[in-house]
Amino acid sequence: MTVDPADASGSEFEQRARALLEQSAEQLPGAVRSRLTQARHAALAAQSARAPSFARRWVPAGAAVAAALALLLVYGPQLRDAGENPIANAGLEDIELLTDNDAVPLNGDQDVDDDFYEWAADEAAGAAAPAVGS
Amino acid sequence: MAAFASLDSETADLIPAGKAHLRDSIQDGARSLETFLASVERKAFRIAQIALRHEADALDVVQDAMMQLSSRYASRPPEEWRPLFYRILENRIRDVQRRRSVRNRVMAYLPWRGEDDEDAVDPIEQAVDKAPLPPAQLESDEAMAALDQAIAGLPARQRQAFLLRNFEGLDVAETASTMKCSQGSVKTHYFRALQALRAKLGEFHT
Repeated sequence: MTVDPADASGSEFEQRARALLEQSAEQLPGAVRSRLTQARHAALAAQSARAPSFARRWVPAGAAVAAALALLLVYGPQLRDAGENPIANAGLEDIELLTDNDAVPLNGDQDVDDDFYEWAADEAAGAAAPAVGS
Repeated sequence: MAAFASLDSETADLIPAGKAHLRDSIQDGARSLETFLASVERKAFRIAQIALRHEADALDVVQDAMMQLSSRYASRPPEEWRPLFYRILENRIRDVQRRRSVRNRVMAYLPWRGEDDEDAVDPIEQAVDKAPLPPAQLESDEAMAALDQAIAGLPARQRQAFLLRNFEGLDVAETASTMKCSQGSVKTHYFRALQALRAKLGEFHT
């Protein structure tokens, strides 16, 4: 089945039909034209409202990622050095010792009498020497 | 239009100042979509009206098609909008026709059918205007009414092919894309539509 585009009768018929249809579209009642305009604006508003929601969702997320990257760039090298530097590690240990409530007081023996140390030394020497008569 | 312009500028305001070209692109896209919708809305309404024979239903399906195109396919290249829009429109027309068919079958079994019918024709709206029309206008209106009726009586695919090719001016490839069929099928549907219309409106072109 083929369509003969040179069919004069068909061409005339088609042109007449097209002219009538276009005329009817141009002469729509005002109420219909108004409804169509409202429909178009509603569709465009829906499309515009959709775009900001996309932006509002991703712009804050992008800002958060950028802030995290900035923090990593600024403090990243310091954190890495702290892991490798013994002085920095020693400082952390000192802080832990000073803040530990269960640790033995470093100045706890200031009130002990010196005689105690002499007695303790003698006892130690006596224990090491063989007993007389044994 | 003002409401749309404000929303559009709100969207554009979210774009950083350094991305002015992106902002311009969004605004251009919205403007071109509006231009496209304005260019098709009247013909789309007439196509729906001929198929559905109901003004309010035709307006509804055109609005649905506009909403769906703008919300789902606005980011597609503008050259794809026309086939997409008419495909959506035809799907909506078919949905309405199916709903009507189901409703009519259900209503046929109901004893109170016909009462309180929301689609009842308003006799005042349908009253014939007694004011005399110019002969040319009268002839044109009668020809248009006959053409409407003849097109509405075509099978759906023939009607679709005829209106898209003859009225909307889509080429064979665009019509095939819209109708989701081969170009050969489009030519066949169109040819058969022409034959049927000529048979019904023999004196139409004289």
